[in-house]
Amino acid sequence: MEQFFQQLTNGLAVGGIYALIALGYTMVYGVLKLINFAHGDLFTIGAYLGLTLLTSLSLTDRLGPFWGVVALAAMAMGLVALVGALLERVAYRPLRESPRLSAVVSALGASIFLSNAVMLIYGARFHVYPQDLLPKITLDLFGLQLPLVRVLILAASLVMMTALYLFIQKTRIGTAIRAAAIDQGAARLMGIDVDRVILLVFLIGPALGGVAGVMVGIYYGQINFTMGWTYGLKAFTAAILGGIGNIPGAMVGGLLLGVIEAMGAAYISIAWKDAIAFCILIAILIVRPTGLLGERVAEKV
Amino acid sequence: MKRTLWGALALSLLLAGPVMAADGIKIGLMGPMTGSWASEGQEMKQVLDLLAKAVNDQGGLLGKPVVVVSEDDGGDPRTAALAAQRLATQGVVAVVGTYGSAVSEATQNIYNEAKIIQIANGSTAIRLSEKGLKYFFRTCPRDDEQGRVAVQAIEKMGAKKVAILHDNTTYAKGLADEAKSLLAGKAEVVFFEALTPKEQDYTAILTKLKAAAPEVVFFTGYYPEGGLLLRQKMEMNWPVPFIGGDATNNPDLVKIAGNKACAGFRFLSAPLPKDLPSEGAKSFLSQFQTQYGSQPSSIYAVLAGDGFRVLCEAIKAVGSTDPDKVAAYLHKDFKNFPGLTGAISFNEKGDRVGEVYRVYQVDAAGNFILQP
Repeated sequence: MEQFFQQLTNGLAVGGIYALIALGYTMVYGVLKLINFAHGDLFTIGAYLGLTLLTSLSLTDRLGPFWGVVALAAMAMGLVALVGALLERVAYRPLRESPRLSAVVSALGASIFLSNAVMLIYGARFHVYPQDLLPKITLDLFGLQLPLVRVLILAASLVMMTALYLFIQKTRIGTAIRAAAIDQGAARLMGIDVDRVILLVFLIGPALGGVAGVMVGIYYGQINFTMGWTYGLKAFTAAILGGIGNIPGAMVGGLLLGVIEAMGAAYISIAWKDAIAFCILIAILIVRPTGLLGERVAEKV
Repeated sequence: MKRTLWGALALSLLLAGPVMAADGIKIGLMGPMTGSWASEGQEMKQVLDLLAKAVNDQGGLLGKPVVVVSEDDGGDPRTAALAAQRLATQGVVAVVGTYGSAVSEATQNIYNEAKIIQIANGSTAIRLSEKGLKYFFRTCPRDDEQGRVAVQAIEKMGAKKVAILHDNTTYAKGLADEAKSLLAGKAEVVFFEALTPKEQDYTAILTKLKAAAPEVVFFTGYYPEGGLLLRQKMEMNWPVPFIGGDATNNPDLVKIAGNKACAGFRFLSAPLPKDLPSEGAKSFLSQFQTQYGSQPSSIYAVLAGDGFRVLCEAIKAVGSTDPDKVAAYLHKDFKNFPGLTGAISFNEKGDRVGEVYRVYQVDAAGNFILQP
């Protein structure tokens, strides 16, 4: 039983990061029907920019560990959001009217470009976040070993996801985003500036991906320029699992995927954990083709 | 039709271009210039560039300059197969590389059919040299030897319950199997599973490992995962000792895990560059230092350099680049060549003979200390 709860916390920690990245996929898909394959690399860029900011500004020395990390995360978010907006301008906007396949190819190209750009700028070797950024405390809770950093990271991702959810549901801009996701033409007729909505989506999604990158850097320490691929794939799976285009779906999908992986590794086989996760994905898609929370049925013609 | 013809002509010219331009003796380098082992591949290239320059400064080979043609295998078997085909069409006489066993395996037949000599530098999996391939050699030792030394070290640690963790690559699985069979009767293997490389969270695996209560864990995978395992193990407050295979031998392991998590970690390896005894090695290391401003961090890069030096020596000795002559010479008459990593001879399978693995331990400051 103790192992069960330990694995549950292991899974939730990974799942929280998957969920943050999955939000970026799902928001872009919701509005543009485009899988932004470069999203995983924006996550990588977030991790690298975070490291650069951290070492060059020595934020934690000036502001203390907690506020230093918060300031770092905020700055990395802002910068990655700018990269995301630039990406939209360069790689996706010129293809807005072309067939969807062209945009997907452009997305793949952007992904390869970005990850290799990171390699050329930072080098191919592993980079490492400072070890003592946050106090290394491991909480012992009824025999469960919970590193404090992990608890903080899960909490931070939940806070950000809730904030995003409220933003999308309760504010006027959020309503505009939802409207553009349902029908761009009609939204335009209602006076919504769809181009601005798309730009906004490309600011928020990458910002969340970027902050996930910083969190991975702080928690796991090691970052490398290929990490966006693995995390991107998992987060994309999480987005599909929850119902792509659906924001709460991405959150649920991410957390669920993390837990399924941990449980699969614990009780069946470590080597098969991805296979188990994907089998469950297939099973869910057979029962619910739109994902767990996906509502939109097949497009009516 | 006419256009197709022109197209075909242009294409054939394009393909023939590099071959016709061949002036010097081309030696290929296939290494992971990108991907998670990129630091290995880039250092291999630095070593070969340095050695080729030295050869050319002394008049080259058979009166011609040596040209190193490098291709990126990405640390990935599919990319490697393409790289091998590209090298084969560029008219290289021999290829040095590569690091990962699974990656080398994907290219072995391509080189063999093209009659190109391949000298692998880090591919230690046993089965690579059991296929009877005439043009395959390696300067690194083999995993049956590594497994034997690993089991010795585990016995020396007095462990009765051993966990073995690999990553399903040709190398790691092979070494894990080897160790498991050698451990039979000496210690109980309480855990034998594979992790997925390139992930960052291995806490689920460590939690399961811990439940199996081993007295020592033998990890046969590579350093990126090894570093993360050590770090996450420390965060779990689990003091079990880890021992790693030679693929954990890279300073990045310490960088990733941090000094504290690494302290006490043991691994098997051919001697590190800094522990190489020969005069030749020392002068090579100081040249490398002046050229690139730091010491080579990986023994596999130096082993790639030995592959290159072996090739130059053999081509010089037979006076031609004919692959059959060079291969026959390497198999039979090439004995006790003073390599950077010690004396080099090959057996009939193309395996290096004589060199043995050592046990290293990481100290509190993150240095790799050779164990007596």
